[in-house]
Amino acid sequence: MQESINEKVSMITKYDRSTGLVSPVKMRWQGRDYEIKSVSYHHVVKDGKKLLHIFHVTDDASDFRLRLDTETLHWTLEEIYDGAATESQ
Amino acid sequence: MMELQLNHNKPLVMHIDLNSCFATVTQQAFPHLRGKPLVMAAYNSPRGCVLAPSIEAKKLGIKTGMRVMEAKLICKDVIVRTTDTELVRDVHIRLKRICSDYSVSVTPKSIDEVVMDFNPMEKSLKRPLVEIAQEIKNRLKKEIGEWISSSVGIGTNRFLAKTGASLHKPDGLDVITYENLPRIYESLKLTDLCGINTRFEARLNIHGIFTPLQFLKASPTLLKYQVFQSICGYYWYKRLRGWEVDEIDFERKSYGQDYALGKQTADPQELSKIIMKLCEKMGRRLRSSGHTAKGIHVAVVYKDYTFWHRGRMLNEEMYSTLELFRGAQLIFNQQPEKKVVAKVSVSCYGLSTSSKSQMNLFEQDESKSRKVSDALDKINNKYGEFVITPALMLGMDNTIVDRIAFGGVKELEDIYTN
Repeated sequence: MQESINEKVSMITKYDRSTGLVSPVKMRWQGRDYEIKSVSYHHVVKDGKKLLHIFHVTDDASDFRLRLDTETLHWTLEEIYDGAATESQ
Repeated sequence: MMELQLNHNKPLVMHIDLNSCFATVTQQAFPHLRGKPLVMAAYNSPRGCVLAPSIEAKKLGIKTGMRVMEAKLICKDVIVRTTDTELVRDVHIRLKRICSDYSVSVTPKSIDEVVMDFNPMEKSLKRPLVEIAQEIKNRLKKEIGEWISSSVGIGTNRFLAKTGASLHKPDGLDVITYENLPRIYESLKLTDLCGINTRFEARLNIHGIFTPLQFLKASPTLLKYQVFQSICGYYWYKRLRGWEVDEIDFERKSYGQDYALGKQTADPQELSKIIMKLCEKMGRRLRSSGHTAKGIHVAVVYKDYTFWHRGRMLNEEMYSTLELFRGAQLIFNQQPEKKVVAKVSVSCYGLSTSSKSQMNLFEQDESKSRKVSDALDKINNKYGEFVITPALMLGMDNTIVDRIAFGGVKELEDIYTN
């Protein structure tokens, strides 16, 4: 099921100097750790002058949409999806 | 009228189409959606309109334009999502960037289609176009995502390139030349040709044309004077033979916004708020392009499916949201009946460059209000959309959601400038 979360999360990231890429590695949300297996898409959006990095990642069990605010450096878990059909209203 | 042969030139126009773009991109971002029937809908509610089914959903018979509930009748487990417009726009920018590495002439035709013309660089081409096309397809998978598939068509004109791209979906690569052209037309229906809908099909049928091959063999005189009764008939005659007639860059003539009301209403105050928000969005685009408008148009679709619209050229040029809103509200108030509204559209036209606009001798406050508009735009650019809004728009946070226009090439200009 698709669920909107919009909660701040703790994050461990890695930076690869050869590719110049930063990617999330491990996320702690509601006391539980999630090991991120891959980044399926990364893009940047603007909110005024503020840059937000959007990471679509997966831990193989669920997919997560994460937001990194480059002004505050806060990580927010925006959405979680576990593969089940979403109920329409 | 001059009769033409098939175009025997080397096919140097390439059309690239991302397969089921909205759905595939979402499946790329959310791996758990891959391989499942998915529809991207305008609203995640039973009556929401399906904008794009995934390849898996298409195989089950789900089509664009169906209601969500109809899609659910075909497949009860179909997954319904609304479009992440920022994600799709980012994919479009990457697609255009990749294509720009290969040709100086890359023209986006819609959010998921681009046309590349290799004619200007024919002499410097060192590789066959098929090899370049395959490389682009591979790069799309590598640089956008492994789930992204594309269909590529190569022809002597845009029409044949587009036709080639639609021959094998998903993941096709076809070249149409004068040699295989008749054989390809033999395998198609009239409505498979881009630009021929059921009405044109009926018009062709009346004149004894039932297949694309018969269409190809029809004389230019028949097409121009009897079937299409306009120059369009001759354009079709040339287009079908692989001669370019579609390399036209249309100038922008208007800016518009529309909104289908989730909660339909006849309340003038509610409708006024919506018109204000539409004018604000439209005004932001008008001003960022450096234009003013003299004409304003309002169209309303009512709950009973009746339609009313009116446009008017004003004496003064409009620039600020307030000026646009004043014009739109004036027209909206001229409706003959006040019925429950299902959809409202506002557009402005009669554009001219804002720096060239005539100053008003009598209304001294005009330039001040324009400066205020520019200042408000700057604040919204810096701190985010709708940080400062007219008081009328209070409490309307996400009433008018961001959308991607179908085939909207002009809105893509906004993406490149932002």
